[in-house]
Amino acid sequence: MTSPSVSAPNVLRRTTPPALAPERPVAWPTRTIRTLANGLQVVLVESRTFPKISANLYFRSGNAVVAHSAPGLAEMTATVVRSGTASRSSREIEEDLRRMGASLGTSSGADSSAIAASGLAEFSSGILELIADLARNAWFPADEFERERRQRLEELKVERTSPGFLANERLRRVLFGEHPYAIIAPTEEQVAAFRREQLVEFYREHYVPADSLLAVVGDFSAEAMLDQIEGVFGSWQAPRPESPKPPAPPHYSGRRVYLVDRPGTVQTQVLLGNLAITRRDPDWYRLILANSIFGGAFHSRLVINIREQKGYTYSPGSGVSALRQQGFFTVRAAVRNDVVAATLTEIFYEMDRMRALPVTAEELDSARNYLTGIFSLGVATQDGLLSQLSTVYLDELPEGYLETYREKIHALTAEDVTAAARRHFDSANAQIVVVGDRAQIGDQAALFGPVTVYDTRGNITP
Amino acid sequence: MNSTAKHLHIPVEHTTLSNGLRVVASSDRSAPFVTVGVYYQIGFRLEPRGRSGFAHLFEHMMFQGSENAGKMEHIRLINSSGGVLNGTTNYDITNYFESVPSNALERVLWLEADRMRALKVDDENLRNQRDVVKEEVRVNVFNQPYGGFPWLDLPPVAFRNWPNAHNFYGDFADLDAATLVDVQQFFRTYYSPNNAVLLMLGDLDPAEAFALAKRYFDDIPAQPTPPRADIAEPPQTEERRGEVVEKLGPLPAIAIGYTMPERDTPDWYASAILDRVLHGGRAGRVYRKLVLEEQIAVDIEGGVDLLDTNGPTQMVTRIYHKPEFTSEGTVAVYDEVIEELQYRGVAQDEIDAVKVKFRSEYYATLEGGMGYHMPRFGLMHYLACFTLFDGDPDRINTILDRFLSVAPEQIQSAARKYLVPRNRAVLMRLPVNPGGAQ
Repeated sequence: MTSPSVSAPNVLRRTTPPALAPERPVAWPTRTIRTLANGLQVVLVESRTFPKISANLYFRSGNAVVAHSAPGLAEMTATVVRSGTASRSSREIEEDLRRMGASLGTSSGADSSAIAASGLAEFSSGILELIADLARNAWFPADEFERERRQRLEELKVERTSPGFLANERLRRVLFGEHPYAIIAPTEEQVAAFRREQLVEFYREHYVPADSLLAVVGDFSAEAMLDQIEGVFGSWQAPRPESPKPPAPPHYSGRRVYLVDRPGTVQTQVLLGNLAITRRDPDWYRLILANSIFGGAFHSRLVINIREQKGYTYSPGSGVSALRQQGFFTVRAAVRNDVVAATLTEIFYEMDRMRALPVTAEELDSARNYLTGIFSLGVATQDGLLSQLSTVYLDELPEGYLETYREKIHALTAEDVTAAARRHFDSANAQIVVVGDRAQIGDQAALFGPVTVYDTRGNITP
Repeated sequence: MNSTAKHLHIPVEHTTLSNGLRVVASSDRSAPFVTVGVYYQIGFRLEPRGRSGFAHLFEHMMFQGSENAGKMEHIRLINSSGGVLNGTTNYDITNYFESVPSNALERVLWLEADRMRALKVDDENLRNQRDVVKEEVRVNVFNQPYGGFPWLDLPPVAFRNWPNAHNFYGDFADLDAATLVDVQQFFRTYYSPNNAVLLMLGDLDPAEAFALAKRYFDDIPAQPTPPRADIAEPPQTEERRGEVVEKLGPLPAIAIGYTMPERDTPDWYASAILDRVLHGGRAGRVYRKLVLEEQIAVDIEGGVDLLDTNGPTQMVTRIYHKPEFTSEGTVAVYDEVIEELQYRGVAQDEIDAVKVKFRSEYYATLEGGMGYHMPRFGLMHYLACFTLFDGDPDRINTILDRFLSVAPEQIQSAARKYLVPRNRAVLMRLPVNPGGAQ
């Protein structure tokens, strides 16, 4: 295609940025919501530009429900669930997927397990049937289980050599104590002790329609898709699982340092944090706005300070992780070994500045625009849409959450930001993890609180 | 299974400004965002000798300040418009891109034009970004298990010509040697409008978008066509082998790379399908054999960046295997997969399935973002490559048929011609501490 001819007035070159044009309203994708008789919640959004569909089936049980009996069992179950059903072998499942141009992911996090597939819209019924087959008729072949368990053991060894993993593991232990969220991965001994019957039991109890969510986005008509879903999932029956009441996270006080010793390492991973709130907390909007100004965007105080001014690190940042029962706030930076103390000093300076002084009108305005803008960008892809939908429905956020998010953010003030920082950037009680060479960073770390040293297997060392 | 294949047609319009800047627009008004990219035809393959890592270091400098937008101003203006931005350095291209609500299109174009016209950076900026880049290398390479495997390890083994074979992230001594004069020189040579393409996608009217592009970019002066470095490889006559130490990870790892046919030749199309026969996920032949059946490997990934490279490129298989197997023995089992393909070819139903998956992945790439917040990154990326390498952005709508019309005998023939020892390199990454024993 050739272009139309273009002409523009010969203007003087502008030296200041053009103003923004009027905003085009965000038309939220229309959702079709239905609960089947068996309790399966269905959420559909038509997205018709590309001939694709993405369908995610979520169960409301993950590794947290087995953290005290068999850590990692939910994840192992999710790994093996794709390896055979009553009517399909592992190989047939993979070949069926390929024939439909589909890819499949089965996974389990702390709070949920998921069977997620995407592929060509022309094969939507086959893709749904395959998801249903895995959800209802998985067979857990003994040899497939054995192979996956062996692979998981090797993966665990690799994970223990990653500084990011070691830092996350330690911080979660420290923040969550006896709460199930304390554990992010099983030990090798625990994986070695898994039995096939345990996977089958977890599957029977938790892969059930009641309270589960099927979210489908893509190139279909919602009415026809609902009929298909009713046909494929309607006859599925299973009892609702019990959800145990977990213990409260521990109460900690005072800054403490946890040093994971990795002799000879050329860089130190810094990760600190404190417990915060869930998405259902009224403070949520205030907190994410404060986080955005502090370290949640490229143009944030932390990034400007320790990256763009001081050059200590490549990818610093902060974030709020909202698990279903409890959220937590973290700050992270991988820094060169001689600036660990300097980095922590700057992090606490920026946290305390957020707590003590109001943010500027410009910072406030910029951060509000940033959050509402990226929220809108998030609906422009099928994956992004699915992520938003699953957050809303799995976290049981109020109806209208998506539609009102932008106005709620825009209504926030500088006082809101300071209040959220005071409550949730708990610098006096921050728990500090550093993963690095004790000989090079031990003295620097000790400036920030009593130090406990661990080896990379998680054992305390003298 | 029901199936009515729907033919996808992406609207594409393009023009060229008086200074040689190519401009491509693709309108999709389903959501109120625009994704904008500027792609320069300069990658780490073409950086100056003795300045390894310079193309990437330079990419960082493009965020350090331009004529009318000082340090952090570019980033502030994008974030505060509700958008995100990034840049990446690749073999043959360096790209800069933003996704923003569609009301910020003009602002983004002003910013990109400002830094195409003139960089305004100083020694302090250069020192700062040199430090940042060193931490980037440490976090991604030195302090990660299998860091840089194999994208930094394999080229020096596989290739003989410096542009293809050097350290793309850069030796620290070379990074330290880089000066502000190098920065401005590199900018003048390669960052000219006639060596770039501007892409605008999403919620826009192409005619209006072209008018804005003209308004902001048209008076940036063209520069002499940059020198074209010789990136040809001398003929390879035997298998190449190398070994690298893995300091952190417990598993031995192997990378096997075969050099691919020249872009846009019949064999090039065939090799893309061949790659998917071998590497297409768990149904792919390599994963099936080494992970599922023989249970030698813990994980295998593989593939080739055919569409976004424009020079010697390898199809690479990465194998992480259990320590009780030898790497030599593992390669021997891998070779059985290759030999079977060469002798028996591929059955029609397998090829049909691979092509369905190929089509699906092509659409998924076009539709998807880079993470959740860079919608249509894939569409932008391919449009840029088709424009810069092939002079034809409309390929976005035609190239799929070329891949899907590859015949079974072409695949077998490509396997026999290219998947041979004298066309490959094998790199072993050997753990200091195999099995992770403490």
